[in-house]
Amino acid sequence: MQFESEAQRVLDTAAKLGAGYADVRFGETRDEHIEVRNGVVSSLSDGESAGFSVRALVNGAWGFASSADMSNAELDRVGALAVSIAKASAKVKGHGISLVPSKAYVDSYKTPFEIDPATVTLGERVGYLLAAEKEVRAAKGVTVARAWMDIWRTNKYFANSEGSKIDQSLLQCGSAVHALAVGQNDVQDRCFPGTGGLYQTGGYEIIRKANLLDNGLRVGEEAVALLSADQCPSGTMDVILSGDQVSLQIHESIGHPLELDRVLGWEANFSGTSFATLDKLGTFRYGSEQVNVVIDMTCPLALATHGYDDEGVKATPTYLIRDGILVGYMAGRDTAGTANVGLSGCVRAEYWGRLPMIRIGNVNLEAGSVPAERLFDDVKQGVYMESNRSWSIDDKRLNFQFGCQLGYEIKDGKKGKMLKNPTYAGMTPAFWRSCDAIGDAQSWVPWGTPNCGKGEPLQTARSCQGAAPTRFRNVTVGVAYGG
Amino acid sequence: MAAEFGSRDALEAILARALSVSKADQTEALIAASDNSLTRFTHNFAHESVSERNCQMSVRAVVGNRTGVAASNKLDDAGIIELVNRACAIAKLSTEDANFPGLPGPEDGVVDLPGAFDPATAQATADLRASAVADVAKTMRVYDLYAAGYVSTQTDAFAIATSKGVKRFYRGTDSAINIKAIGSDSSGYAEGFSRRFDDLNPTALAERAAKKAVAGKNPRALDPGKYTVIMEAPGFREFLGYLSWIGFGAQSFEEGSSFMSGHIGEKIVGENVTVRDDFSHPLGSGIPFDFEGVPRQQVALIERGIAKSVVYDSYYAAKLKHRNTGHALPAPNSDGPMPLNIVVDPGSTPLEDMIKEVQHGVLVTRTWYIRLVDQKQTIITGMTRDGLFLIERGRVTKGLKNMRFNESIIGALGRCDLASALVRSESHVLPAVRIEGFNFSSGTEF
Repeated sequence: MQFESEAQRVLDTAAKLGAGYADVRFGETRDEHIEVRNGVVSSLSDGESAGFSVRALVNGAWGFASSADMSNAELDRVGALAVSIAKASAKVKGHGISLVPSKAYVDSYKTPFEIDPATVTLGERVGYLLAAEKEVRAAKGVTVARAWMDIWRTNKYFANSEGSKIDQSLLQCGSAVHALAVGQNDVQDRCFPGTGGLYQTGGYEIIRKANLLDNGLRVGEEAVALLSADQCPSGTMDVILSGDQVSLQIHESIGHPLELDRVLGWEANFSGTSFATLDKLGTFRYGSEQVNVVIDMTCPLALATHGYDDEGVKATPTYLIRDGILVGYMAGRDTAGTANVGLSGCVRAEYWGRLPMIRIGNVNLEAGSVPAERLFDDVKQGVYMESNRSWSIDDKRLNFQFGCQLGYEIKDGKKGKMLKNPTYAGMTPAFWRSCDAIGDAQSWVPWGTPNCGKGEPLQTARSCQGAAPTRFRNVTVGVAYGG
Repeated sequence: MAAEFGSRDALEAILARALSVSKADQTEALIAASDNSLTRFTHNFAHESVSERNCQMSVRAVVGNRTGVAASNKLDDAGIIELVNRACAIAKLSTEDANFPGLPGPEDGVVDLPGAFDPATAQATADLRASAVADVAKTMRVYDLYAAGYVSTQTDAFAIATSKGVKRFYRGTDSAINIKAIGSDSSGYAEGFSRRFDDLNPTALAERAAKKAVAGKNPRALDPGKYTVIMEAPGFREFLGYLSWIGFGAQSFEEGSSFMSGHIGEKIVGENVTVRDDFSHPLGSGIPFDFEGVPRQQVALIERGIAKSVVYDSYYAAKLKHRNTGHALPAPNSDGPMPLNIVVDPGSTPLEDMIKEVQHGVLVTRTWYIRLVDQKQTIITGMTRDGLFLIERGRVTKGLKNMRFNESIIGALGRCDLASALVRSESHVLPAVRIEGFNFSSGTEF
């Protein structure tokens, strides 16, 4: 394994200086981004980064240090620095941190893929986006047409003082088309696929199946049509959300509240805490009986799928909500003992140089049994909403308000006229308890979210929330424009 | 920061090597070197403490009027050559952009910012940060509270060189203390920022946060509706700051989605409101040049209520035939130029007097999770947090449960009064503000 000797050198340094536990991660990332804007390649970038980091536990306190310089002198300096930081933290350590046991693994993992992006020339990729963007711009009235793709490769090696040695090679891809239409006093936009693109683990086949070419014109026409569409009404009514919007709803109102570090107050000053406190575990009705949510870091295609997390824990599917009842949290080795919950392998860092922390992994709402088109059948009056435009939720993850790009009136079971500026709002448990039907497996997609922010210093993580179109009863609609 | 890391000589040698091996028509090399440390605490103990060091170079290669950008932190000689060659290769595969004016040339006017670099802050240790955490915890125990927050120190260096003769270097320090004091049913917030860590007083900030948490005990619910609101600087920064994303840059201005589009020279908010971008404000943390190496200009965005200007980089300055204000972000940049150092001119009323003048209103300490609802109307939504209070007959009387707002930023600036004292909040320098008819649309449970 590459970096094995360097890793051992760092672990030896940490142990010699007093670390009771230490782990080290070496990493290399390569991020390619191409974006076309109104017929011109506005961004063509290829970035790489490499380095390592050390996490040391001394007397019940953590220290963490990282560097891009992998010389022996720097390996020694950073290893020693992590220990010295831990010793400083131990002066204000409270009850002290302890780790739950985790098996030591010597293993490797590689993202399965069909088409290596490296086999698709840069010229072909640029040409594909130019063609897709041209389709969007063909819609009369589009102000800004865009198309983009991302290809992210991560190679990392993890080792810890308990004997784990894990090599991983991850590949993630995504792409989208987007239309912006500007009116006299209005701006409307549409994106496809989903809110910001289809992002999954896998190869170039992820980009091909997004099928931007066949959807660009429609997206452009919808953005323009929204400028003259009726305003979404205000009131209490039934709502059907597209799968990608449900995905964001899961992310914000199930994913984040069930991060155990938030529950314990470790994010209190920034990302916030959680209403889903430990006393609710096992008894709290989070949602209706239809609501089953699992964190599954092994889920095929899902954006956060890996073999092991950044503290060497094997990816293990774990229920968070079963039949509507809160039954689990996402936890790390330094928090799981507090709630007596299992590990799912969801502790991750943005890249080699950042501290691993509990992150929303693949938090999936299991598919229901209703064909997506049948969700409309017994809705007398409501709104269908698709693809997110605005999202906000309080710092305990209760009061939320979301806005979508596109709405359609629903009357007597039929999809009616287009509506602009659809918004809905609610309180998390009441909203999930109002869920009475979830689309079937045919409409279920592991939607990736490439830009989840958390932590200080701020880290961005790539998560997934698998979802199907879902129906909610008696929802507050349109309040954003009610003032 | 160790002497050799991020030094001017070391970074300029890398830049010179990059330019020397480039076969592009024009080449820009930008290095960002950072040495950042942060200790995070909760329940009055330090639960995370990090030190992160990285040095990354990005190279923008120009072939004709095609551009490509490659970036790497492998900055030995082989790494530099590979990086430059990669940038050149991808530039050739880009499209012609008839609006690309070429890289900007060297311009005079980069000002020195004395005091931008504080050696003591650069050398601050984990022990020093832990000591500040201990001071905060000690104060919290006095009030039977606990705190969550962070103490940070950082050094950032930026160096730019281009084949057009631009050569810039900046090194500066910054530091911050952020405290949320937490009680059984209330919380309070205080923050401090300075280029010099010695300027920050953890005990005084902890006292401020703790007193807010104590005053907010037993919070009552407020009915949704329109209220007179006094928003302290941290909340006002988050509220006003959204304008930078949606309308103060030339890209959204050109495409017509900015609230400034078509309104330059018109009165758009109250005459008492002047909003500028000023990298050089003594309380601020600005850098004297942008990420193309162009000297930053002080720009009046809104002056006495009148829409005056947006900010520009070289691309949009050429395209829209406007002077370049020096507000480029690092290439490639999908967001266009953007102001990074917002300054709001103060009013004449001290905050305490402003509160005394309110018969029935709400004091907002801080806001959270602000997101755009309507770009053209500048309507945003968000929540209050960590200190919401009722003001009755000129006095702060009760803690309130947090509220959601849906409000137009520009609309609110048309019915506001500004306090007299300027403070720094993140990268902004601004006063507290009083806003009439502020729209709270719903409440939450805490």
